Amino acid sequence: MRKIKQLLENFNTLYIEEYKTTWVKTKLSTADDLLMVAKALKEHGLRTIATVSPTDFLEENVIEMNYFFEDLMTNRNCWLKCDVPRELDECEIESLTPLFKGANWHEREAYSMFGVRFLNHPDLRPIIVSQDFYDKTPFRKDFDWDAHDKNTVKNMQKIVDSFKAEEAEADKGIDAESSETVLNWGPTHPASGPIRLKVHCDGEDVIGIDPDIGFVWRALEHLVTKKDFVGAIVAVERLCFMDNVNSMTAYAQAVEEIANVEITEFAKWMRVLLGEVSRISSHAMGMGGFYNALGLHTVAMWNMDVREFFLDFLESYSGARIATAAVEPGGVRYGLQQNMLDELQLALDKFDATKDSVKDIFINNPTMKMRASKQGFISNLDVQDYSLCGVVARASGVKIDVRIDEPYAAYAEIKMDYVTQKDGSAKDRLINLFEELEQSVDIIKQAKRHIEEKIASGEFDPTKDQMVKVPKKLPRGEAISRVEWSRGEVLMHLVTEEKGTSPYRLKMKAPSFNHTMMLDKLLAGQTLSDIPLVFGSLYICQGDLDR
Amino acid sequence: MILELLKKVYRVSKALSVKSPATEDVRTHVMHQSDRFRGEHQIDYETCIGCDACNKICPTTAITMKHLPFKKQNIVPEVNLGVCIFCGLCEDVCPTKPEKSIILSGGRYDMLSGGWHEDQVNFWVHVDVPQEYIDSRLEAEEAARVKKELEAKKKAALLAMKDKEVKAPVSGVPDFSGEQI
Repeated sequence: MRKIKQLLENFNTLYIEEYKTTWVKTKLSTADDLLMVAKALKEHGLRTIATVSPTDFLEENVIEMNYFFEDLMTNRNCWLKCDVPRELDECEIESLTPLFKGANWHEREAYSMFGVRFLNHPDLRPIIVSQDFYDKTPFRKDFDWDAHDKNTVKNMQKIVDSFKAEEAEADKGIDAESSETVLNWGPTHPASGPIRLKVHCDGEDVIGIDPDIGFVWRALEHLVTKKDFVGAIVAVERLCFMDNVNSMTAYAQAVEEIANVEITEFAKWMRVLLGEVSRISSHAMGMGGFYNALGLHTVAMWNMDVREFFLDFLESYSGARIATAAVEPGGVRYGLQQNMLDELQLALDKFDATKDSVKDIFINNPTMKMRASKQGFISNLDVQDYSLCGVVARASGVKIDVRIDEPYAAYAEIKMDYVTQKDGSAKDRLINLFEELEQSVDIIKQAKRHIEEKIASGEFDPTKDQMVKVPKKLPRGEAISRVEWSRGEVLMHLVTEEKGTSPYRLKMKAPSFNHTMMLDKLLAGQTLSDIPLVFGSLYICQGDLDR
Repeated sequence: MILELLKKVYRVSKALSVKSPATEDVRTHVMHQSDRFRGEHQIDYETCIGCDACNKICPTTAITMKHLPFKKQNIVPEVNLGVCIFCGLCEDVCPTKPEKSIILSGGRYDMLSGGWHEDQVNFWVHVDVPQEYIDSRLEAEEAARVKKELEAKKKAALLAMKDKEVKAPVSGVPDFSGEQI
């Protein structure tokens, strides 16, 4: 940490300060230095860039760029800021993609949403947004959504026209002599979900893949700014339904940090409990997704059966099985009753009763091992370059887990260790998924025991302790909050205004975005039949891919 | 032979007494019932104080306020269930005690079962305020207004009386302030 600070002191900065335990926060006086600083940071070991997050300040007439550099090996991070002018003609900054491959799509996103042009970016096309938003800046504060919505028919026509033009263009480029062609994998492929992979292939050999994403773009980051701090949870939880509790936890932590509110111990433990239940419900579906892509639906059915018991607990606790809206700034929304814990015990018993047969049949499955152990290799270095996280990173042997690296909620008091594999093939990712399921069950058991003990001793009052009051208006400030989501690290960057009643800007860095970026690298040179396998193993959810 | 036949008859007749699970109407049974299940809203127009808090917090603007012909507490929420996402925030913010005026928890789980698509065209929780209630509220308001007016008149009369009592001796005393100069 001290070394990073020393290194930053060589440049013109407005301030350098420590933030939380693992971050150094700084702001460059001029954006021209960015490339040099980034180079120096990379040489120093911060090889990963988590995300690029512009914030539009209308009054100051600047766009503030936020770069989050991470060193996955030693857990040192740097939060770098710099200003770029707001006028569309001058709104440009040096691209970091040549240095950090993982910045690629994040810069494209900033370009499509804020109109920030990145110089020397190898492939600066709009991403996520549909064609009617091209050359517009939907996330800027002065963008007129109502005016855009008035022209719905014209907008639809634009999308259709550009799709037709693209089809015509694709036909033109094909060499009549060769067998090269462009194949659309998805969005109606049984294993794809709402994503379209434009597969350039020669026969059945894949030449390259260009993912077309944005089919379920809901502009969540914009929607959040239209709601108050409490109402925003319903937009945040829609990051992905499979694990919605942990994303709300990330948001709630950021709000609490700005409001300077300390939540109760009980709420912290409840966040662990609910988060792990949610993680199990997601991982169970993830395992099913992997095998579904291979064409075997049994494990999905079996896992769904177990998952229902965990959802029963969520329903008893919050009143909804999927969209729980259970975590709010200030704690958790509801109190706890003993019959809910009994229901959770039923779910844990069900998991323990079935896990051996799932392991025997599907995890130690010789056919799956033959098929998947030679596909989709991700090396240790790839993880750092492309900023991969979660199951995908740990299956490649990288020891990262926010629950251990930067403990939040009550994770500091929980006994757990990194679950990792060695090779980083598709098979390893499946095995890692299953082992994390077992780990989650173990964490739930610890948390449940702790909560029951504290309730018995009278330290927790489960009917009153769940919430502390968070003011409706927050002071001007900003915070970042990281949680280990089921799919990997979620980083939320929250900016508030003085006496603001709703978030001014919320950037959600979601893991699937980076994982989808890997598809081209993983599948080039493979065959068409490998696409579902590798895609399924990356544990991608379109909800957090598009946001 | 006869014994076996009787056995068979007995076995089959046993099945008659057991109700087959396939004949159960699953629309009226629920696999897992939660007390907090967030279903269709129940709105109590009598306790609602018309504070508009549920309307303000609703993340999807599913709530519209229906106007009632009163002077005070003259709005009551109505919910468009086609837009509602059942997050339950309206219930959280409702300030009435001890019972909340808008409740989802423990609501119906079979909202969408049964009926036809026509039933869903107007898929709302409407508040039907009976005419008697409106009349009684209007009467009460009128009575309160009359009472207030009467009180105000009384007060004014009292004040006037007091003024007279206070002023009377003052007017009786000769004023020499002008002559002193």
